[in-house]
Amino acid sequence: MADNQEDIREKTGGVSRRNLFQVLGAAVPVAAVLTGRPVYAELGEHHAHLPMAAAARAIPSGPYTRQTFDDQQWRTVSVLCDLIIPADDRSGSATQAKVPEFIDDWIAFRKQQDGNENLQALIFGGLMWLDRESNEKFEKPFADASPDQQKRLLDRVAYPEKAAKEDHAWVRFFNEFRDLTVSGFFSSKMGVADLPYLGNTAVAEWKGCDPKVWAVIEERMKNGYKGVAGPAVKPWSA
Amino acid sequence: MFRTEQNMAQVKASPKTYDVVIVGSGAGGGVAAQVLANAGAKICMLEAGAWFDCTKQSDMFGWPYDAPHRAASTHEKPFGYFDATLLGGWEVPGEPYTNAAGSDWMWWRARMLGGRTNHYGRISLRMGPYDFKPYSRDGKGFDWPITYDDLAPYYDKAEELIGVFGSHEGLENTPDGKFLPAPAPRGYEKVVKAASDKLNIPCIPSRLAILTRSIHGRPACHYCAQCGRSCGVNANFNSPGVHIFPAMKTGNLEVRSNAMAREVLVGPDGMARGVSYVDKTTRKEVSVYGKIVVLAASCCETARIMLNSKSNQFPNGIANSTGLVGRYIMDTVGSAVSGFFPIMQDLPPENEDGVGGMHMYMPWWLYKEQKANKMPFARGYHIEFGGGRHQPGAGVLSGSERLLGGGYGAELKQNLRKIYGAHVGFSGRGEMIPNDDSYCEIDPNTVDQWGIPVLRFHFKWSDDELLQAKHMQETFKEIIETAGGVVTNSHGPEKRWGISNGGQIIHEVGATKMGADPKTSVLNQYCQAWDCKNLFITDAAPFVSNADKNPTLTISALGWRTSEYIADQVKKLNVKV
Repeated sequence: MADNQEDIREKTGGVSRRNLFQVLGAAVPVAAVLTGRPVYAELGEHHAHLPMAAAARAIPSGPYTRQTFDDQQWRTVSVLCDLIIPADDRSGSATQAKVPEFIDDWIAFRKQQDGNENLQALIFGGLMWLDRESNEKFEKPFADASPDQQKRLLDRVAYPEKAAKEDHAWVRFFNEFRDLTVSGFFSSKMGVADLPYLGNTAVAEWKGCDPKVWAVIEERMKNGYKGVAGPAVKPWSA
Repeated sequence: MFRTEQNMAQVKASPKTYDVVIVGSGAGGGVAAQVLANAGAKICMLEAGAWFDCTKQSDMFGWPYDAPHRAASTHEKPFGYFDATLLGGWEVPGEPYTNAAGSDWMWWRARMLGGRTNHYGRISLRMGPYDFKPYSRDGKGFDWPITYDDLAPYYDKAEELIGVFGSHEGLENTPDGKFLPAPAPRGYEKVVKAASDKLNIPCIPSRLAILTRSIHGRPACHYCAQCGRSCGVNANFNSPGVHIFPAMKTGNLEVRSNAMAREVLVGPDGMARGVSYVDKTTRKEVSVYGKIVVLAASCCETARIMLNSKSNQFPNGIANSTGLVGRYIMDTVGSAVSGFFPIMQDLPPENEDGVGGMHMYMPWWLYKEQKANKMPFARGYHIEFGGGRHQPGAGVLSGSERLLGGGYGAELKQNLRKIYGAHVGFSGRGEMIPNDDSYCEIDPNTVDQWGIPVLRFHFKWSDDELLQAKHMQETFKEIIETAGGVVTNSHGPEKRWGISNGGQIIHEVGATKMGADPKTSVLNQYCQAWDCKNLFITDAAPFVSNADKNPTLTISALGWRTSEYIADQVKKLNVKV
């Protein structure tokens, strides 16, 4: 995965973290930076007070311990996440990017930060509804329903403007769950590479907007443009 | 300049007496330490927080997916996991403050060497000629006792030392400076500029204290956009890297961290003798003596120390015969709108990081309308904006149903890729006029864990600020719509046009205003206390107004001017050393 990330950045002309010091070396007259030593060396006796170096703050790796969902919920969450973000030819699925783990942790985190269980209640309640509806209509829980049956349920709640009034609470649940899945996926290592986000890297010379990108924008300003979201852009001279 | 032989004699007879004791290590304490250390003064600097060296402790290049909860903000880290602030925020454990009924002031503290300069936005705008004489211009607030021309040479010095990029524009009341070259704009910035041009709103290169060229042995920026995490190579302005560590190299500056100043000590002659502080590591009270005391603890903390410095000579707190210490605190008016720009969907991917902040901004542009009484509020604001293909963290691409109508599956995944990078958020940063209802005082019933009485805040926006926030909302919507965009978040009258809480923008200034008349000000034009000639202030507490020009550069320039004055007075024997 790490190599994959480096590759993407190198292909697009970025500079990976590995050769940061090389890049900076050209501009830095202070040899200290090349050796990783501080620019200003003699700082007196206060070194003892150095708190929390960055490395010491990294989160522990290893298997994730669930804090929020029970086994049945976990199964539903995993199925739902992958229905929202499936694998395609560009990247893997939400579960491959460990989105269920992210959601499980996020709900526990919000509970602690916000001092209430509102988010957990919304998600738990929505998962209950999915299983209740699925059991009623298909005589099996949501996770075991056929793809077509799952689609019939999701289509009721996945399009806010089209949803029936009595489903609005579940629309709200699904909006929240979609957001958690989407932001969990696209902030993961896999999702960052998918977008792709090409930054977080040292750039030797900043050139601003790529003329090729600007040419696309200018063409749209001139002739108008209709994308997947928002209104059609009218020609800017109009 | 500072008579060292005499110092030596005193050391034998009594506890060590420094030439200068400085409280605080941010922009104001840092510049004072450097100017005075270079002038030969022996200095002891007190910092309430821990030691910090960005070249060793920066979190530059970290990924949100490697951080807890995708680096989301927490009560302990309001700007997220990677923010440089080690201990601080609007809440500091064990260091409360209170609000009077009806007030909701938020007081940011950064307890660390260098204070807020480690994480701030590096926006470096000179105040203009009008900004020093606002009362003369519109009859509100107060005039400064100095003019732009008095401070201009110190803006020059500060910019040349800390390194500020920008461009020469010659705009009204928006003075140009000694600039490094400005970085080229990002794609979305060029789009916003095109829309601003249509509306006749000037959109120009921003002015940030980030190096686009190597100066003074500090390397140029490498454009990772993470200045808020502190810079691992000192390519942006931060007080330790630019002021304090170089000043320590003179041998004239000693820094004591974890030293929480409690009060200024006063001698029988009514002069400041030094500072009493709590050593946070031992919880012991320690006194440090100096012939001159410089307070730069941050605006409100400086007022707190002064109000807590009660003595027979100063029963209401040191240098407070006017009762004005703590009065007229101001913050910046903030209000935000965000928008989705359809024209920026599905563009070829590119790295839009750049420097840690905006490459373009809009300075206030309606001076003529204001002068002609055509504006519904006094004073102005500038516009900051940011967006594009920023580093994805917690919350990225959320709320997508409002743009895509909902959905799930392969089509949603594909559409999300297309709308990534097409959002821009706009924030106004405007001038607040000082008012009688906005001040801090000592809360007689509350102390912090160091046994120091805490501040109680009173705060109120006036109609000038509220109407300014309304104007911001309307203007930002207009810019977004001019670009064919969709407003995704805005605020109406029911939310008071999204106006920030006092203190939320972290530009608090005022509290010990300078002035020409000792009856109506705490400090003279050199930020020297009228009531106590060897007490000076070099943070934002002396500010008389709070122009829409972010305070740090003016703290640097004013602190430099004050420090030169101190050195000069010592030379002329006007201040005893």
